[in-house]
Amino acid sequence: MSLLEARGLRGGYGDTDILRGVDLVVGPGEIVVVIGPNGAGKSTALRALFGLVRLRAGAVRFDGHDITHRPPESRVRLGLAYVPQERNVFPSLTVEENLQMGAFVRRDDIRSDLERLFELFPVLAERRRQRAGTLSGGERQMVAIARALMTRPRLLLLDEPTAGLSLRSVDVLFARIAAVHREGVAILMVEQNARKALAMAHRGYLLVGGANRFEDTGPALLAHPGIAEMFLGG
Amino acid sequence: MGEILQLLVYGLVTGGIYALGAIGVSLVFAILRFAHFAHGDLMTVGAYLALFGITTLGLPLMPAFALGALLTALLTVAVDRLLYRRLRRNGAVVLLVSSFGVALILRSLVQLVWGPENLVYGTAIVPPWRLGELRIRPVHLAILVTGVVLVTALHLFLTRSRIGKAMRAMADDPDLARIAGIPTERVVVWTWLLAGGLAATAGMFLALDTRLNPLLGWNVLLPVFAAALVGGIGNVHGAVVGGLVLGVASELSTAVLPAVYKPAVAFAAIVAVLVWRPRGLLGGR
Repeated sequence: MSLLEARGLRGGYGDTDILRGVDLVVGPGEIVVVIGPNGAGKSTALRALFGLVRLRAGAVRFDGHDITHRPPESRVRLGLAYVPQERNVFPSLTVEENLQMGAFVRRDDIRSDLERLFELFPVLAERRRQRAGTLSGGERQMVAIARALMTRPRLLLLDEPTAGLSLRSVDVLFARIAAVHREGVAILMVEQNARKALAMAHRGYLLVGGANRFEDTGPALLAHPGIAEMFLGG
Repeated sequence: MGEILQLLVYGLVTGGIYALGAIGVSLVFAILRFAHFAHGDLMTVGAYLALFGITTLGLPLMPAFALGALLTALLTVAVDRLLYRRLRRNGAVVLLVSSFGVALILRSLVQLVWGPENLVYGTAIVPPWRLGELRIRPVHLAILVTGVVLVTALHLFLTRSRIGKAMRAMADDPDLARIAGIPTERVVVWTWLLAGGLAATAGMFLALDTRLNPLLGWNVLLPVFAAALVGGIGNVHGAVVGGLVLGVASELSTAVLPAVYKPAVAFAAIVAVLVWRPRGLLGGR
């Protein structure tokens, strides 16, 4: 059974629809990547899964629950976590406080999870008392991802996690995302570095014009001549 | 020199009262993004609710003050639930104008219940302590000490407690707060509880230092807003600094200017800060 299942998503922010029929499915423990040209609605689709877009049609099911109309807080409780592309840390809070805010919905002891995440992201352990606003772009992304992991999600939604990062930071971050996945967290990400992302993905979706265009396994998408030419930089 | 020192003491007391009001203005601005014009009249309501505790319930001063702060905090939350929450989607201007309406309603209610004349808490008149040339009234010392305790407690609340941290997170980025799963409406309720309780305390202190009047809080709304702006709107520590700076400046001004010009100091402070340091002394939004 699939963990997340979104069918026929249509909607947007104003009068015009950005999503014109998007289907996305993620199985437990899967890495799924969404690629597509600018303006294809990739980020909007991710936001829609988290209840941040007004949907005119379609349904989102997570772990057997219909979450189409649930507020973000309740999605977090069910085990869904979302990391936006920008403005994804609380700049005036320390690194540790950012992680504590991620765990706000939890009532149990979070200390062991804090330590586990500081092991996963050692650079954050060094900076735990530093304000998140003073960190580099790559470090901020790690704070944002660690914050999202504090709820022990089953599925992590990542919106272009490597946007604006240096090549070296991109590799570091992908390695961390792979480590998160090894802990059993399914990942659905929108990514510009499509080649690297597809290389670690089980499956991938190509969105064009707010709708599904193509869907296959990661390796098949990488090998597909048309897609490689158009979306992977040749 | 003695006179200046004496004015400094008065200034700190006045400034402490401004600071308690300005903290609420700043908190509300940081978390709800609008200038809350009913804040002065919340001070008035708090002062009169304490009077109700003293005269009607026969409570001693301290429990009456605690009751006044608690009831005002709850009233503030009720106003938010009934009115501001419904208008939240309509933007800052609508909220600001509606808070003007709340200000008028609160003031009229106070006047309706307690009348327009000046009233006092009827505390015994205690002669001031003398420290050389300096005269210190026990009530002033009590105001200052309570102010320091409250500000320290608030600081600890914002830096140590879960809800306090969530308030700072929401001030940073309300959208991300929702995404992180923080129950933002609960944070809003806490914000109003604190802002209302602190406003009431400021009002009660002001009434204790002067006398009760339906215009009590309205009359100091300008210096309270000025204090929040001078310190950096949205910055709690800035509100404390701004309050003290403004209180001391307005009292010291009486050494060279007629006392009727005291309110002008607040205006001058707003203008000066907006021109030279628009984000306030400690930096706000």
